[in-house]
Amino acid sequence: MTSSPFPPSASLPGDGRIVVRLLPAGGSGLETISYQYPLKLISPSPTVAQKSALVFLLSYGGGLVGGDGVNLSVHMRRGSSLSLVTQGHTKIFKSATPDIITSQKMQVQVDEEAAVCLLPDPVQPFEDSVYEQTQIFTLRQRASLCLLDWVTQGRAARGEDWSFTRWTGRNEVWTQGSDLGQKGRLLIRDNVILSQDGSKPVGLPLKDTMHKMSVLGTLILTGPVMESIGDFFMAEFTALPRIGSRDFRSKEDQEKDAEEKPEFERWRARRIAMEKQHNILWSAAQVRGCVIVKFGAATVEAGRSWIGTMLRREGSIASHFGDSALMCVEP
Amino acid sequence: MASQDEIETEIALLERRLQEAKARLKALKPSSSTTSSSSSSNSNSSIPSHPSPSAFSPASSHTHFLLLLSDSALPIGSFAFSSGLESFAAHNRSAASSFSSFLPLSLSSYASSTLPFVLAAHRRPQCLAELDDQLDAAVICTVGRRASVAQGRALLSIWERSFKPTNLPPSTSSTSSSSSSFHQAASNNSSSSSRSSISPDALVLSNFSALLRRESTKSSAGEPPLVSAHLGPLFGVIAAVVGLSLRQTAYVFMLSHVKALVSAAVRANMFGPYQAQKMLASEHVQALINAVVEREWHTSVEEAGQSVPVMDLWVGRHELLYSRIFNS
Repeated sequence: MTSSPFPPSASLPGDGRIVVRLLPAGGSGLETISYQYPLKLISPSPTVAQKSALVFLLSYGGGLVGGDGVNLSVHMRRGSSLSLVTQGHTKIFKSATPDIITSQKMQVQVDEEAAVCLLPDPVQPFEDSVYEQTQIFTLRQRASLCLLDWVTQGRAARGEDWSFTRWTGRNEVWTQGSDLGQKGRLLIRDNVILSQDGSKPVGLPLKDTMHKMSVLGTLILTGPVMESIGDFFMAEFTALPRIGSRDFRSKEDQEKDAEEKPEFERWRARRIAMEKQHNILWSAAQVRGCVIVKFGAATVEAGRSWIGTMLRREGSIASHFGDSALMCVEP
Repeated sequence: MASQDEIETEIALLERRLQEAKARLKALKPSSSTTSSSSSSNSNSSIPSHPSPSAFSPASSHTHFLLLLSDSALPIGSFAFSSGLESFAAHNRSAASSFSSFLPLSLSSYASSTLPFVLAAHRRPQCLAELDDQLDAAVICTVGRRASVAQGRALLSIWERSFKPTNLPPSTSSTSSSSSSFHQAASNNSSSSSRSSISPDALVLSNFSALLRRESTKSSAGEPPLVSAHLGPLFGVIAAVVGLSLRQTAYVFMLSHVKALVSAAVRANMFGPYQAQKMLASEHVQALINAVVEREWHTSVEEAGQSVPVMDLWVGRHELLYSRIFNS
């Protein structure tokens, strides 16, 4: 028995492991939590009202130094729920040379009826940083996943505007056969490759290919727990005003009509106005049993506020995982 | 990253083609020496530069199919798609939005997301179904999927109905189309003499279209279909079967994309036909295509992805346009 308040560490640098199981009394608990520098995992002691296990993904110093590697494996046992959050942007510090790669890998195995919600703060790659992120989710029958992966232009206050050397993010969702040894099937592979070298052949600096966006994000939703939030994004996308259409009503009529609308439609109108003001572009698509939302915004805070508004309004994430799952997307 | 067997397969493929070319040349001019035959077999991409004085030497069948596949009249319906150009113009009404700023973005995005699949399919045609499924998992935009699948299916039909009879001996091509499911079952032991003349790559295409037909009749019970027929991998395999080199295949694939964009721009009234030809002929466009082909030459399909994320937003939001003249 140690007196350390922190869980024991794994053996390799940057390695971490989390196993979540359903508690006999109901609710989810951590069977295993271990980590090694530079990764740090903290789980607040569970409360009775807690709807899912909660783990903070942290790093010493609030970021990853050039060459750091994090390798986290998560196993969700049948019926369990886990929300993974961060505390502030994951800063990626510069690499001394382009061949020094800073990386984060996450392998998540989600068993039957289990659900995982990963809503972290965005990754903030600094000038001259080189970063590779790989997140692989393997889902058994009726498993659910909510994954937000977003990246910012860097430290805008210091004039950074997509000034990193390279940023690649890969998210894969696999199904797993019900029998052992049965080959799984790739459902989704979402790769984003942003690199100064890669944009050279087309004669543009990377920032010019980003079209004044400060943050870009991808939300992947799948499984029974995410059905309602997925439908919500699809319905809201379909309900967006047509681009290039005109409203021929007078301003007074528009305002009068708006007042008579139900509360939900007034919320939608306010949100659409916000999207317009902050140049928030988004699209949603239903692909191979998943709903995938892509968004970009002119400021990081506008992007955060937008995704937070959407998730909060629909409410099923908060009701399944608890309010703390949404802490990184609160405006 | 090319693995060892990938390279070995490529070498085997190239050696086989060299053999075939030599055999054809021999049949054409029985008296010619082997040294001259090897030199002219290398130049099959262009009309031979030293025509023999005795007879006009015809362009190779490879060149013929190169021209067919690069023809903008190839009926795969590319005229119906603007690959986000129409949406880009609607989202960016300011003066800064011009075709010349869209073109490099579109090329970069299309090359990084799709070209590795074309190259992989040309290098390993036998992996067609697997590549198609992986690409289907990677195209995460409704509008983009629709465009890719519509053109892919049209290209497969062109192969089945138009190209195949020329590329296969008539007797065997009729057997393979009538009993492709039988071939799939027996593709491993090709002992029968009637099948031995079918190139294994052409057989891959027959099996693929049989699988596609089976999948489309199957009721969708949650599972995504095993194959969807995306344009990229099919283009790679068909180009390999008709004898285009890897480099030519990549160039034609990207050039076709540029031609479709330029043609969409003309119809969207962005500029006129002379400006369009000037752009197509420009060194800038040539350099762009070569640069992106170079960039993706060694990209594995696992590493293929979006290099211009805002392109996904424009293409995805095409559905929101009040009025549209294109399908993407």
